[in-house]
Amino acid sequence: MQKIKGVGLGLRHRHFQEFIEDKPDVPWLEVHTENFFSQHSTSSKYLAKISQNYPISAHCVGLSIGSAAVACPVREQHLQHIKKTVDWLQPSMISDHLSWSASDGVHYLPDLLPILYTEEAFNIVSKNINRVQDVLQRQILIENPSSYLRFNDSTILEWDFLAELSKVTGCGLLLDVNNIYVSAFNHGFDALTYLECLPVAAVKEMHLAGYSIDIIENKEVYIDTHGQKVYDGVWQLYEKAIQRFGEVPTLIEWDTDVPELSVLLAEKYKAEAIIAKVLNKQVA
Amino acid sequence: MIKSTQPTNPLSQVTTLAELQRNFISDCLSGKLKQDNILLAKDIDSSVISAQGLMGIYQNSAIANITQSLILTYPVIEKLVGEEFFSAMCRQFIYTAWPKSGNMDDYGLEFADFLAEFEHVKHLIYLKDVARLEWAFHQSSLADDASITDWSTLAQASDVLQLTFLVTPSLSLVSSTFPIDQIWHLNQDNTSPDMEVEFADEQDSDTFIVLFRQQLKTVVLPITAGEFALLQAFEHRETFEKAIIVASQKQTNFSVDESLKKFIELGIISGFVENIDT
Repeated sequence: MQKIKGVGLGLRHRHFQEFIEDKPDVPWLEVHTENFFSQHSTSSKYLAKISQNYPISAHCVGLSIGSAAVACPVREQHLQHIKKTVDWLQPSMISDHLSWSASDGVHYLPDLLPILYTEEAFNIVSKNINRVQDVLQRQILIENPSSYLRFNDSTILEWDFLAELSKVTGCGLLLDVNNIYVSAFNHGFDALTYLECLPVAAVKEMHLAGYSIDIIENKEVYIDTHGQKVYDGVWQLYEKAIQRFGEVPTLIEWDTDVPELSVLLAEKYKAEAIIAKVLNKQVA
Repeated sequence: MIKSTQPTNPLSQVTTLAELQRNFISDCLSGKLKQDNILLAKDIDSSVISAQGLMGIYQNSAIANITQSLILTYPVIEKLVGEEFFSAMCRQFIYTAWPKSGNMDDYGLEFADFLAEFEHVKHLIYLKDVARLEWAFHQSSLADDASITDWSTLAQASDVLQLTFLVTPSLSLVSSTFPIDQIWHLNQDNTSPDMEVEFADEQDSDTFIVLFRQQLKTVVLPITAGEFALLQAFEHRETFEKAIIVASQKQTNFSVDESLKKFIELGIISGFVENIDT
């Protein structure tokens, strides 16, 4: 298992061949674990070849660690799939989101659904993270979500919820800078407060991506679509994040309308330039 | 200890997390969201945007995620009907068939039947079979590898006719009354734009196709009616003798030696077992 450093890219189908043949200079790659559940599939064969040259981080989207259902076969089955995939892939890091997708074992919505921030939810999420870490026998990272709604009954601030989760469960944090920016706009909080309240040692990875802007009922809403270049405001927040958390491995994420690899590489160079500027380093 | 504050609306009745999540999913899965029947209306801070508007963001996002998965499984159908129409059609399909788990590899089997019934594409009578071919392609791409067989031991078999030949786990068989293999090939990214499919509502003979994986490539190969019957029999673990009989019934000039050799060389037939009790 190789240690991850520097600015990596999300590996998508469109670029498989280029990573095998051209071997572009990228220090690590992140995959969506759910795309490689079948170890013998064509996609997994490509990944096996690619992983010979690049360290891999496994990013999950369906562990549903926020599910309240006590008996949740869908969640448990998903965890077993993840375990099988992680066992053969041996990724350097494993992450999922502070969200949920499954309820009552029979219902599933493939999206990162929002959490009600209460003590009850905190205890449930902690228990679920412990279960995942016990099964996988290693630390996982939990990513801060982008969100579009807030529940009236929430009593805990999201950043406090995450900070305490890392303390109680020993999980690491995946700081998605774009998600903070998106949620801060949608809910009107100060993005810098979010950064300042997270424990420095817990943040093990960062994500950068683009969002889109929707108009709903005549109001602008930022939507975390991962289909654009990183916005200027997010780059500025990333600079603040590097100042606080240091040189944490950073990922350029792009999931919809995936462009040519050169576009992703240009975003990578931008992130590297910011790290170099903040830490007063030479760009490699 | 974690810092706790008062709820945004301290007068709201506290909902348990399990109940809230049940209602969230019920609202999203119920199709068109309506302000007056959103179960979660009282739980959501709707001071700026209505609960309906906010829930719609999550519903749309989930539908977009599922549509992405359908695009990966059914790229030819998307090309045939166009991106915009495909997305709109997927939305209708998704309302009738939400995923049951987070393993999206399993999702989309019912799409072919949906196409056959969907009013706006009912006239494209070949579409259902193209979708069946794409689902078979998807399944072949996900299948396990075949185990390695020592073919030199075949000569030692006491009665070859009573052997059962094994097919590769990536085998899929699809037949149609339309030239769906040609339609499929014509709509691949590397196909010359000058290629055309000769197309008639009813063609003289059916199309028989075998799909299987070779290394990193899933192969779509037209075969004869006899070969199709032979592989179907092998897939159902019939003896070689029975397989030859059904293949010959389907195709009068069927050459078993030629077909068997071809399928072994291609890796479609991946091994054999002797039936001890025969």
